[in-house]
Amino acid sequence: MKGKLKTSTFLILLFCILFVIAVPMVFHGYSLMVVNLSLIYAITTLGISVMLGMGGQLSFAGLAFMGAGAYFIANVCTGRLGFKMATLPALLLAPVFCGILAYVLGLILLKLKGTFFTFATIALVQVSFSFFMNYRPLFGGPDGISGIPSLSIGNYSFSSNNKMFYLLVVILAVVALIVERIRVTKFGRSLASVRDNDIAALSLGVNVYMTKVKAFTLSGVLGGLAGALYAMQGNFVASDLFAYNNATQFIIMAMVGGVNNTFGSIIGSVLITVLPEVLRSLERYLQLFYGLAVIVLMVFMPMGLAGVFKQLAKRLKMKKKTSSKASEGVIK
Amino acid sequence: MGLNVIITCLLNGLAMGMVYALIAMGIILLIRAVGVLNFAQGDLLMLGAYVTFALKVDLKLPLWLMIPVALLCFCAIALIFMFSIYWPLRDASYPAAIIIGTMGASIVIKEICMLIWGGLPLRMPPLLINPETGGGRLITIGNVNLQWQYIITGLVGAIAIGAVFFLFENLYAGKMLQAASQDKFAAELIGIPTMITIAATYIISISLACIGGYLVAPIFTVSASLGTLLLRAFAGVIIGGLGNIKGAIIGSLIVGIIEAFASVRLSTYKDAVIFLVLLVFLVVRPQGLFGTTIGDKA
Repeated sequence: MKGKLKTSTFLILLFCILFVIAVPMVFHGYSLMVVNLSLIYAITTLGISVMLGMGGQLSFAGLAFMGAGAYFIANVCTGRLGFKMATLPALLLAPVFCGILAYVLGLILLKLKGTFFTFATIALVQVSFSFFMNYRPLFGGPDGISGIPSLSIGNYSFSSNNKMFYLLVVILAVVALIVERIRVTKFGRSLASVRDNDIAALSLGVNVYMTKVKAFTLSGVLGGLAGALYAMQGNFVASDLFAYNNATQFIIMAMVGGVNNTFGSIIGSVLITVLPEVLRSLERYLQLFYGLAVIVLMVFMPMGLAGVFKQLAKRLKMKKKTSSKASEGVIK
Repeated sequence: MGLNVIITCLLNGLAMGMVYALIAMGIILLIRAVGVLNFAQGDLLMLGAYVTFALKVDLKLPLWLMIPVALLCFCAIALIFMFSIYWPLRDASYPAAIIIGTMGASIVIKEICMLIWGGLPLRMPPLLINPETGGGRLITIGNVNLQWQYIITGLVGAIAIGAVFFLFENLYAGKMLQAASQDKFAAELIGIPTMITIAATYIISISLACIGGYLVAPIFTVSASLGTLLLRAFAGVIIGGLGNIKGAIIGSLIVGIIEAFASVRLSTYKDAVIFLVLLVFLVVRPQGLFGTTIGDKA
């Protein structure tokens, strides 16, 4: 069992190293920026996967927090509010700000259950979008906010797509490791118990409500971090990214890769963001195929791509076992 | 704000609210019967608008022929939708899979409409045409001008909703539908074919949305953006109460009226006003206007 686990982590590691080496060689300029965006989206998607995969709560709010994070940076780093903050502390503050926001909203919204919580998060996305779109003093209105400085540490500035790419890979890896680690903590296990059966969880002494609030806060923190990185990567924030349609996109990203799988969420967001750029020639039919693919994927593999790999691995293992058993002459 | 503006807003808001109610009712019926939150309901409304546009403008069918043909088309759409999205996914190991399936369906429906009818908005002639201007006919009461289309929308919506209520409360078939949605297993035990009742629920809820599409098509234009009306219906569903059909209808009407008044004073923040009211409702009265403490089934 342990050896098996090690090979899978080894494979993932190998894949990551190949990814880091190959991507800057294949993609340049605009397409590298798309890859960067996909990595940023992956952070938000991880937040969604904490809520949906680990906690079983379908939440659209990740995108609203991403917007909050992006506009936080846009306001704090450009001097719109009368002061100008250095980029590094702002990058660290944005997730904290969004985390507090998410905690307060979570306390209110998580009194609702299941579908109605989902509705409430949709409302949140709508409200935030219409403020981002229209309120000029803070959010720049329809024009958005431009001139956001790139992230710089000391005198070193992450101004090119190339530099940003390596930084994002590191940040994403750290976030993924944290999420993966949370899975086996007390909090992660109580979250899973809430997902599987909240009454049983309650009777075992899990504080269902606060566990969900914590998960929501975590997704807010991740959303805020992603938003902050988004603002610094493009040096520009506009409201159209934070519309409701894109919120469904993020949920689909989480589901396509595998909803309860950290690596799967990353694969999902990279696939869904980068693939349309690669398949530009099919533009007219791309969205149609995309929708069909989502349906087919859900019909045949509801646990996403990661689920398929797991099943394949299981089957291979079963085959090995049965064949070895057969050779030993054991009949089950 | 003069009295005539208030009356116009109120009536137009009620008419739009009725459209949201048609969507909301479909959503609640599906949640109660099969536990599926249907994200494609708004796009089905849009599809209804396109289908009726094709029948009325492209094929130039007269109204008496168009209505039954349109209803048959709606039934076919509902059955296709059910057998492609719900049926293969009903035993999925992860309940969110089916919801994501409806999101996929929403993209597919939108794209098919764009491919067939193109991306430009189409103009649907109103039901009652003013022969002089070619636009919608107006009705003047006192010094208040109202469009007939709004009044027809409100009335037809009310009739459709009333018919569904009559079906559920007074007819044997409706009782069967209710029984099947309350406890599928027990209903099967006493010989109710749940597959047929589920199909019937899909037909009812999707036809409601499509009828809504036909009604709003002359008010807005026929375009892919009709799908966004779904969000207002969501708001109505929560304001009304958890899983309560009557509540959802009243909630949708409230949303329509709020929207009508908000677009007079705060038109850019129209959406924000609606959804802020919604969030306030969630804080102050999370169970909604008519909510009971019964948990939701989804």
